[in-house]
Amino acid sequence: MSANKATNLKQDRRQWLKTSAAVLGASLLPGQAMSSEVAEPKTAPLAPEGKLGETKSATRFFTRAEYTLIEELSETIIPADSHSGGAKVAKVADYIEQVLHASVDDNQRSDWRQGLRLVDLMSQHYNGKLFVDLSSEERIAVLTVLSDNEHMTDLPEIRLFRDLKYLTVQGYYTSKIGIHDELEYKGNVALMEFFGCEDPVRESK
Amino acid sequence: MTDSGIDLNKTYDAIVVGSGAAGGMAAHVLTTHGLKVLMLEAGKKLPIEQELRSMEWPYDNAHRGKLPPDRHALNFNEYTIRKPPYGPGFEKSKHLHSYAGNNDYVKNIVVDERENPYTGTNYAWVRARCLGGKTNIWGRLSLRLSDYEFKAKSRDGYGEDWPISYSDLAPYYDQVDLYLGITGVKENLPYLPDSIFQRPTKLSCSEVLLKQGVQKMGRVVTQYRAGVTTDGLKHNKYRSRCYGRGACDRHGGCDIHAAFDSPTGLIYPAMDTGNLTLRTNAVVREVTVDSDTGKASGVHFVDSETMKDYTVRARVVVIGASTLESARLLLLSKSRLYPNGLANSSGHVGHNFSEHVLGCHIVGQVKDLVGKPSTLDDGRPGGFYLPRFQNLSEKHPKFIRGYGFEGGGGQGMFPGYAMDLKGFGSSFKEEVRNNRGAYIDMGAFGEMLSRYENYVDLDPVVKDKWGIPVLRFHVEFGDNDRHMVEDMQASGQEMFEAAGFKIVDLRTKTLTPGWSIHEIGTVRMGNDPKTSVLNQFEQSHDVKNLFVVDGSAFVNAGCQNPTWTIMALCWRSCDYLADELGKGNL
Repeated sequence: MSANKATNLKQDRRQWLKTSAAVLGASLLPGQAMSSEVAEPKTAPLAPEGKLGETKSATRFFTRAEYTLIEELSETIIPADSHSGGAKVAKVADYIEQVLHASVDDNQRSDWRQGLRLVDLMSQHYNGKLFVDLSSEERIAVLTVLSDNEHMTDLPEIRLFRDLKYLTVQGYYTSKIGIHDELEYKGNVALMEFFGCEDPVRESK
Repeated sequence: MTDSGIDLNKTYDAIVVGSGAAGGMAAHVLTTHGLKVLMLEAGKKLPIEQELRSMEWPYDNAHRGKLPPDRHALNFNEYTIRKPPYGPGFEKSKHLHSYAGNNDYVKNIVVDERENPYTGTNYAWVRARCLGGKTNIWGRLSLRLSDYEFKAKSRDGYGEDWPISYSDLAPYYDQVDLYLGITGVKENLPYLPDSIFQRPTKLSCSEVLLKQGVQKMGRVVTQYRAGVTTDGLKHNKYRSRCYGRGACDRHGGCDIHAAFDSPTGLIYPAMDTGNLTLRTNAVVREVTVDSDTGKASGVHFVDSETMKDYTVRARVVVIGASTLESARLLLLSKSRLYPNGLANSSGHVGHNFSEHVLGCHIVGQVKDLVGKPSTLDDGRPGGFYLPRFQNLSEKHPKFIRGYGFEGGGGQGMFPGYAMDLKGFGSSFKEEVRNNRGAYIDMGAFGEMLSRYENYVDLDPVVKDKWGIPVLRFHVEFGDNDRHMVEDMQASGQEMFEAAGFKIVDLRTKTLTPGWSIHEIGTVRMGNDPKTSVLNQFEQSHDVKNLFVVDGSAFVNAGCQNPTWTIMALCWRSCDYLADELGKGNL
């Protein structure tokens, strides 16, 4: 990953999917991610439920490991800064889990899972660690690859990034922290008089 | 009294079908004249304040204000790639709504598409079957038509003139203004007459910049003319004045009823006269006819819950079921005397359909407002209106008629532009914050030409939940509409550039017909019974005691939002009705 030049994800992932397959064994690789990307195996089976960690409980969409990953990914998308808290403290991961649990079918769920695993595979490839174990600079570097290649929506990890960004924006800017602390929204109060712009030239300079 | 909930042995002075802007106004005027009126509404009376919850914060809502997951609202792509009826293909959703039913506050106000199917050409039909109809969630932009519309044929040779002039309607517009309340600023434009305005809202900074920018081009930006009482109404105990509470923009209604809605503005006061009987859950399926006199005698209706069928009688039948439903009801009312449907000797019922074409939405960024402190730009029923400017004194070479823009600028509760910003992380977060007050957007509403070829009829096969034949659409935009859309896009860019805005988005897709929710025509007025259905008092040429008082009576759409004109026309017609009934002429 060069700091100056955008990484072409499709070129790069060919290599890291292969490497990962060699290192981790094909069973850990999402099936559809592999097709047309590596010669062997053509259709690697999905890891069975629970193999990566905890089993999904009836009320949860994500395993605990996946939830933590979502939490860290959304915090990387909207981080805490000197102005206000970020996605984590705004409990965006809870919002995302709730939305997905209620609305997503099995196909979409496996797409989300694939995306999450591919993010971890990328992290392994570039830094030798899972995403949650990366430094914040390393996390930014991984998401930069995804963000720079946003148009490649045929890739599950790109779809993950796009959908996660959408839900993070939705969840964060409808939270107390997003509305009040971050954007300092002043409306939704009863007013005796309408406010307006008295002097656009002065106020806009 | 029977299980129908109303007295079926009584002959009412008038039956009013529908409880929206038209039905509500008919009830108000007729009961004021002392007539005994029965209002029939197909939907139920909702606990509307509990539905709307205008000041609820998103984080206090289980779905952050969005639709619950078992419901789906159709989007642009779905309207485009699928054919109506829109039920099949959405099996995952327990309830399916039109695009307007896209949040938790309106989900019970709009109909379920599966219960109310329709067929034919793609059409984004927004229907609200409940007491008050679409007035519970309307956009509130309240504009008068002028002789540029009423006498449009005399000006450019196309279509038909209305059987009235502005001077006929002006006193009734005044009465609507005073009775219901409207906010705005006088501009003295001959093509957009002023109302009797209450306290105006104020423009935000970006809107002032737009106003100054287009002034140089001889164009006008004025405060949103909203059917909202900003000063309050002493004669109405059901409505509060506007307190600028700021959730107006999320397509919900107003739970303090500062924004006009038919129940609190018209129906409850009418009930207080003691002259109005209301029957909800009454799906009217036919206007009955006295075979001796040829006059309307009442209606058949189905109870929407029990499916039981009832008949009720009246001396006059007034239909205000909405443009498309009113045409449907006339077409459904076939009899030996009227084999083509009631009031349809002209064959024009269902035809001469029109509405507004929505072909341009433009978003601009005001560079000087980037990075400024948070401002309170919210709390208004709307931002601005930019009235038409084409085909006023000069003739455009490619299209006739006009279009106007409505829009708003400044900080709102949710940064809708955030998803269009690239990247992520602290720079992304900062960019969203810096732009919170910097965006301004507007969309154009243009007159779709009324054409005989654009029409609805009854589908020979498909029926709704109550076994009633549904409408089949034959509606498409034409060349004039398309040329107008091209001009909207060019002029929208030109005006934003003149104001110094950076254009960050320009939507050039024309939205599916129906999207404006401004459908008009299908039962038009006119002086010639061969080419029109109603006379200048919205009275059937064929059946003297039958009136149709909603948008279906319009001869053309103009580019102004129709609600205020629907109500002014209805008031005038119902004054006439009461007078004629008193004279024994009906």
